Amino acid sequence: MDTALEVRGINKTFGANRAIDDLNLVIPRGATYGLIGPSGAGKTTAIRMIMSILFPDSGSLTVLGKPSALEAKNRIGYLPEERGVYRKMRVRSFLSYIGRLKMGDPAAVDARATHLLGRLGLAEALNKKCEELSKGMLQRVQFVAAIVHEPELLILDEPFSGLDPLSVRVLREIIADEQRRGATIIFSTHVMAHAEELCQQIVMIHKGRKVLDEPMAGLRRQYDHRTIKLEPLDPSADLMALKSVPGVERVQLTDEGCTIGLAAGTDPASALRSIAGSVAPARIEFARVRLEDVFIGIVGGSAGSEESKQALKTHLQGLSGVGVAS
Amino acid sequence: MMKKIWMVAARDFSVTISNKGFLFGILIMPLLITILVFVGPRILNAKAPTVVGQVAIMDQTGSLGPALQSSLAPLSIALRRSRAAGAGQGNAGGGGPQGNGPPIPNLTVVERSSSEDVQTAKQWLIQTPDAAERHLALIVVHADAVKPAEGKSEYGSYDLYVAPRVDENTENVVYDGMREALVSTRLKGNGIDQSTVEASMRVSRPPSVTVGATGERETGRGFARLLPIICGVLLFMGVMTGGPMLMSSTVEEKSSRVVEVLLAAVSPLELMWGKLLGQMGVSLLAVVVYVGLGLFALVQYSMFGLLDPMLIVYLVVFYLLAYLVYGALMMSIGAAVNQAADAQSLMGPVMILLIAPYALAPMVAQNPNSVISVAFSFVPPLNSFVMLARLASGTPPPLWQVFGAIASGILGASLAVWFAAKVFKIGLLMQGKPPSFATLVKWARMA
Repeated sequence: MDTALEVRGINKTFGANRAIDDLNLVIPRGATYGLIGPSGAGKTTAIRMIMSILFPDSGSLTVLGKPSALEAKNRIGYLPEERGVYRKMRVRSFLSYIGRLKMGDPAAVDARATHLLGRLGLAEALNKKCEELSKGMLQRVQFVAAIVHEPELLILDEPFSGLDPLSVRVLREIIADEQRRGATIIFSTHVMAHAEELCQQIVMIHKGRKVLDEPMAGLRRQYDHRTIKLEPLDPSADLMALKSVPGVERVQLTDEGCTIGLAAGTDPASALRSIAGSVAPARIEFARVRLEDVFIGIVGGSAGSEESKQALKTHLQGLSGVGVAS
Repeated sequence: MMKKIWMVAARDFSVTISNKGFLFGILIMPLLITILVFVGPRILNAKAPTVVGQVAIMDQTGSLGPALQSSLAPLSIALRRSRAAGAGQGNAGGGGPQGNGPPIPNLTVVERSSSEDVQTAKQWLIQTPDAAERHLALIVVHADAVKPAEGKSEYGSYDLYVAPRVDENTENVVYDGMREALVSTRLKGNGIDQSTVEASMRVSRPPSVTVGATGERETGRGFARLLPIICGVLLFMGVMTGGPMLMSSTVEEKSSRVVEVLLAAVSPLELMWGKLLGQMGVSLLAVVVYVGLGLFALVQYSMFGLLDPMLIVYLVVFYLLAYLVYGALMMSIGAAVNQAADAQSLMGPVMILLIAPYALAPMVAQNPNSVISVAFSFVPPLNSFVMLARLASGTPPPLWQVFGAIASGILGASLAVWFAAKVFKIGLLMQGKPPSFATLVKWARMA
């Protein structure tokens, strides 16, 4: 497999705080990986080490076939979480400067910058000073700066934060274009919906450790066998009566019907049959596992990484093809 | 790598020199010097008030009063000043009796009885301190001041008491007046014609002529005395043009968070060298402008021959060495702090290093080849200032010392740049509490 990035057992400590703990990661070329995790989990530190802005205390990396991003910086596009521009510089000069620093062809960089700014609705901002732009406009300019030189590896740290829905849509389209162009994309976000929509693989970091490394397609196919969603054939049916069905722990009414929680140790298949027998269903199914549930299951449910893994295993129990990072 | 360094340097250079503040700054310095040199003394003199007051004399010889009245007359004071100026500079001039010196005091001599008690007479000095005509000084002339005492060959002298707040200039006028009065009275007492003695003692001092391979020119001692100071000021201005600019631009890049975008494109070392070279270009431009203006002035006053062209070469070499040390230190401070205000405490040690040459200047100027001058020629970053001052002096150091100073300067600059590189690597993305200088040293050892 041709890999864009390989991280082997990297560690990073700041004083007494262990920011990254034995992180291993392999990202194939052309893939789109979502890097998720709560604030302070170590995502930005991991990205900065991938970019060789910070250096690991131990472990090693291979970026685009090079032992360090320093040797491949011109082929990487990076949108940091903390955005910054030269406030007195004009947008055209700023983008041209960043593109040239990445060894892009000046004419091609200018043409692409003009094209991308046009797509993002910023054509008129090209000759303005950066300090004259709003926060959202600057964010889009910085996004253009990250991709203006057509990078092979694109690292986007929270690219959608602070953007209006229309800009988010255009940005998603441009990211999809970059995917089609063949760029490898690493995408850090707090917004699970964005990760679900854009990423092929989800990597979750919690307290410096990798706690999940799963294909998004696999996660989408997984069901929560503790939760059943029921849409009754008769809208006036007494759904609260389902509480008396053996194995049913709770019933929560929704617009379409109800969500039924099963008690631990209940056989999901027999519970499904009993419920369908009590109330005629128009639709009955086990709830799908959402990324948000996985996230909250790991982060909200426990404090330690071992407990997190256990919580996730419980959450995904009985599902084939699901592995938890160890 | 070099291409990226060059791109960073070119951006820093062009952004700085196109800034109105820089253009203003580069012009304001020559303007200030012009004002200080040409207008300053006139303004200062114009404001100094003329001292008006009385000088009392208790003359036990009984013969000095008229002579003192004559020697303290404004015309006599002016004449003495013009003679002193002529003797000191090898030519008369100085713009008439008033010249450019302090104003001539208007003194009235008051004779008091020599039999009066001195303690009582002293009370006269503290009367009417704020009157238009102040009581300035009391002179008590000894009995043997004009004629030696019996059996002695030495003349006696006098005691001088002055009122509070009498300035040094007035006191000197009284001393000189007394000297003239005593000498003329003594000569008269011995039957010697004073005008003959004065004429015999007066030898005018011709300006010396330096004979060189390219011709002869008037020796310019004043210029020679000024040259080490001019070189020191040029070095200081060069360093102060580039250094603080480096610090503020690094702080700006850090506080505006653009530094992480840059670090995604260049390594910390490339960024550091780019900035260092960019601002070096800026301050070199400032030095070139100042030296150019100086050379233009020398050509205008036909004094170009007074300057050894090698001194300009040494100026550039020592400027580069000084800039690298101070620039690297200031830039590492910029990389360590989050905002300009945090930099003040860290700038303290650097400013001490920058001001230290001025504390050494009098010692170096007095004796350019003393042990202390030679020793500090090898201590970076002071060596750039000390060695340049020695090279510009009348007794330049031996060549081995010059090369030794350059070698130690290169060593100092290398250490400073190494230190800055280490601090850059750690400090650029560091946020939070600004570090102390000890923390910076710790970072340098860690990185």
